[in-house]
Amino acid sequence: MPTSSADGTGRPAQYLQVDDLSAGYGGTVIVNGASASVGPGEIVTIVGPNGAGKSTFLKAIVGMIPAISGRVRLGGEDVTNMRANNLAKRGLGYVPQVNDVFDTLSVFDNLAIGGYLLSRPDAAKRTEAVLETFPALKAMLKRTASKLSGGERKMLAIARVLMLEPRLLVLDEPTSNLSADLSRMLLEEHVRRLGKGGTAVLIVEQKALAALTISDWAYVMAAGTMKVSSAAKELLARKDIGEVFLGRSTEPASLPKASGGMD
Amino acid sequence: MDQLIPAFGFGLITASILAIAAVGFTLQFSVTNILNLAYGDIMTACAFAAYLANHAGVNIWISLIVGALFGAVFSMLLNRFVYFGFVRRGTRLFGMIIVTIAVSLIIQNLLLAIFRPTFFSYTASQGPSYHVGSMVFTASQLAIMGIAVVAMVCVHLLLTQTQLGKAMRATATNPGLARSSGIATDQVIDAAWLVSGALCGIAGVALVLNTATFSETTGAAFLVPIIAAAVLGGIGQPYGAMLGALTIGIAGEVAAALISPSYKDVVAFVILIVVLLVRPQGILSEIAAAKEVAA
Repeated sequence: MPTSSADGTGRPAQYLQVDDLSAGYGGTVIVNGASASVGPGEIVTIVGPNGAGKSTFLKAIVGMIPAISGRVRLGGEDVTNMRANNLAKRGLGYVPQVNDVFDTLSVFDNLAIGGYLLSRPDAAKRTEAVLETFPALKAMLKRTASKLSGGERKMLAIARVLMLEPRLLVLDEPTSNLSADLSRMLLEEHVRRLGKGGTAVLIVEQKALAALTISDWAYVMAAGTMKVSSAAKELLARKDIGEVFLGRSTEPASLPKASGGMD
Repeated sequence: MDQLIPAFGFGLITASILAIAAVGFTLQFSVTNILNLAYGDIMTACAFAAYLANHAGVNIWISLIVGALFGAVFSMLLNRFVYFGFVRRGTRLFGMIIVTIAVSLIIQNLLLAIFRPTFFSYTASQGPSYHVGSMVFTASQLAIMGIAVVAMVCVHLLLTQTQLGKAMRATATNPGLARSSGIATDQVIDAAWLVSGALCGIAGVALVLNTATFSETTGAAFLVPIIAAAVLGGIGQPYGAMLGALTIGIAGEVAAALISPSYKDVVAFVILIVVLLVRPQGILSEIAAAKEVAA
């Protein structure tokens, strides 16, 4: 069950709760004691400069790399270092930045593998529902995924994950390699709709302004830790926003202290 | 021309054995990312397992099943207790090739120590001969071709019609994404070793049935045509391996008939080199290309 919000921020009860997470590669610590949370129906974006550790943070949450320390809870259950396949069974959907579809397989097979955990009739129903959400994919079901354009590919990547109707959707740089128009369409049309439908969405995004526009809450990550935790609107309103994105400014310069401050 | 058609017939038999072996080899690589150069020696070990069953009075075709089961279990255990330890430590493709060469030498020398350096043969009749045009096949050879066709159909059905096949294809293409789609990739990899090991076992016994005698090096000597067939088809591509096996098998036997039997393996080498020069990704290249991107 989601834990209840007691931080006075007005945020929904948290579905994903990450506390003091540290992670890295080959003994090098990249994420150092970072915390974040996402509630049902909430869209949360993590922004920050290159090399801040945003993707590493996500990978440790979704079971792609081990957490060195800290705790990840999903719906109240401790899922720290749980394997990705078991996290998928618990309702976590993950779209990586690259290698986000099965390149050698057709669009239809990608969706079928997205619904791997479903029975055949359920998978068929979900395929229909997902194709209603992404009607453009209907015309290219037999096409090999590697032959899709950047936008089509990202649509397929999200459609594949939606096959299991995840309760938490984790998107790593969903608009990288997409044009400005496609980025806006993806974020404003699809991601926002998912949030409204009750899915908790956690995004890491370089195109921070576009992502923050549709977000409820935001974190600024720099040097492996969360420097700022704030309502997305408040973050967008800050005059020193450029400095904030780079993690150089943590205290509001022109507004009262962001509600909630750091978790 | 008189020699060409019978040579084509021999080529079909070699291609059948090669197809079983190459599909197992390439399936192993595509799902596990390990280029197992001990594959030929495991074929020999399976042939010896069938030999023990056969000489204990078991019918040769039941012995073939014994060889297949031995290959399946041995391959899975080899991965669990040897290869996987290196993979977990982060040993990459080239390092793993060295490990598989070491395993190849160990298996070969263990077989030599156990069975002594001599030639062995099964107690089995080749059966009556059948004429198909100007090609002549023994009943045993027709059975081998039949087994190859059944094995290829089974592999096709496994890959396209079953959940396991779907999971194997997903794991072969992108193991990380497969895991985050809910696929228990460790179990899929175990299953891939079981299936490819069984194919390895069938190929080992079928090879000995066709050559009549064998020793501890028989399987290893067959490794070059297997690799050539797998590379020709696009390494990691089961359907490509079938196509590659047909090409290498027939080309080798035709060259043996028209030029000299010693040119059989040379043809496999030449095709391998030409493919590596002209189209290194093979005829069906999607998996190989995807692996390059993911690496």
